Amino acid sequence: MDYGHRDRADALAAEYVIGTMRGGARRRFESLLPAHAVLREAALAWQERLMPLTAVLEPVPPSGEVWRRISDRLDRRKSVVAGTWQRLSFWRGLSALATVATIGLAVLLAVPRAVAPPVVVVLAATDAAASGAATPPLVASISGDGTTLVTRPITPVAVRPDRSLELWAVPTQGAPRSLGVLPGGGGVVALRGNVLVGADTLAVTVEPAGGSPTGKPTGPIVYAGKFSL
Amino acid sequence: MVRPPADWTERSHDLSRLLARAGLGDRAAFATLYERTSPHLLAVVLRINRDRAQAEDILQEVYVNVWRAASSFDAAQSQPLTWLTSIARNRAIDSLRRLQTQPRMRAGAPSSDGRDNEDDDVYDTVADESPGPLELLSRATEARSLAACMEQLSATQRQSVALAFFQGLSHAEVAAQMRQPLGTIKSWVRRSLATLKSCLDVALHGDIAKRGQ
Repeated sequence: MDYGHRDRADALAAEYVIGTMRGGARRRFESLLPAHAVLREAALAWQERLMPLTAVLEPVPPSGEVWRRISDRLDRRKSVVAGTWQRLSFWRGLSALATVATIGLAVLLAVPRAVAPPVVVVLAATDAAASGAATPPLVASISGDGTTLVTRPITPVAVRPDRSLELWAVPTQGAPRSLGVLPGGGGVVALRGNVLVGADTLAVTVEPAGGSPTGKPTGPIVYAGKFSL
Repeated sequence: MVRPPADWTERSHDLSRLLARAGLGDRAAFATLYERTSPHLLAVVLRINRDRAQAEDILQEVYVNVWRAASSFDAAQSQPLTWLTSIARNRAIDSLRRLQTQPRMRAGAPSSDGRDNEDDDVYDTVADESPGPLELLSRATEARSLAACMEQLSATQRQSVALAFFQGLSHAEVAAQMRQPLGTIKSWVRRSLATLKSCLDVALHGDIAKRGQ
């Protein structure tokens, strides 16, 4: 089916947002969102149209227990993240906060899914990349089967003409593996074999034009984000 | 108290700031965001899944997800309250899918005669003091443009939209409630949404044009 067709996309998005789309169709729709901008835009537009209808609902304060449970879970998460970072000496000097932005596909419309959808990784700009104003993150989407990765810079990444941005998969143990030089303005990177196996972080460094001459990162890390497949 | 849709945007302004700070790891901002929005989201979830304990579990999942995803929230694309409400509704609708594979349970009083709930009127299962979906829809449409747009729907179309949206009913469930064939319901919902869309989009653009002057 051609999901790029606007009317069709709009009708599907309407059923999705109002909630009558169920089961397999609903999961399929969600798995298509990351790759189909037309569907995504249509769904966002329907959300903006319909969600304000809920403003009339009488608010129901949750019990205090709910916040305590949320808070506990965030605390646990924080310590796990801290532990991971301590193992990665490569990352010293990075702001942990800026780099833990990991999201599943869902975040686009916010429902995690079991059906091998693309995994979206947000690579936050590090202090090395920041130049005063907040630098927008880089978004990478790893296909569900782990064979390709698509990058989408939110704003074009500026590099000196004699420099390239190189993408790395960083395993929990061992040296970072190069995934190649980032195509200017975003693009598709083919992933060889099991290059992502054991890795939980994607990072971008500034390297000499054409990529690191040594096969290891040599320049500053300008973007980083954690992910799990 | 009924909050008019008019201040949806107004509330969203403060929430954008809180969400942005939560995205940077600010737990205090996240706590404030929770305080301000959780009663609304719980109300949304409870409409769809009336089991209070499950609704609170869903709410917990929603906010853990919001914390993780806060840094990816794009205020240019979505209003925070719209984004949060969508996450909550999605989770609630997903919980219904799981419920269907489990023995059916209801929080609160079971129907007094213990009969099968296939034939229950949806209004019977809503606590007495809470308004039905149709009344909610009529309150929601007090905003001028929505009201005008809803006028373009027939009473039955309006009811089908209200049942689907507020109660999270599927086409088949709306059909059972309204005692209409499934195909009829599907086409009512589809046509209602198409009508609403064109009407709301025109109204919205009109408002923007007026504000621009």
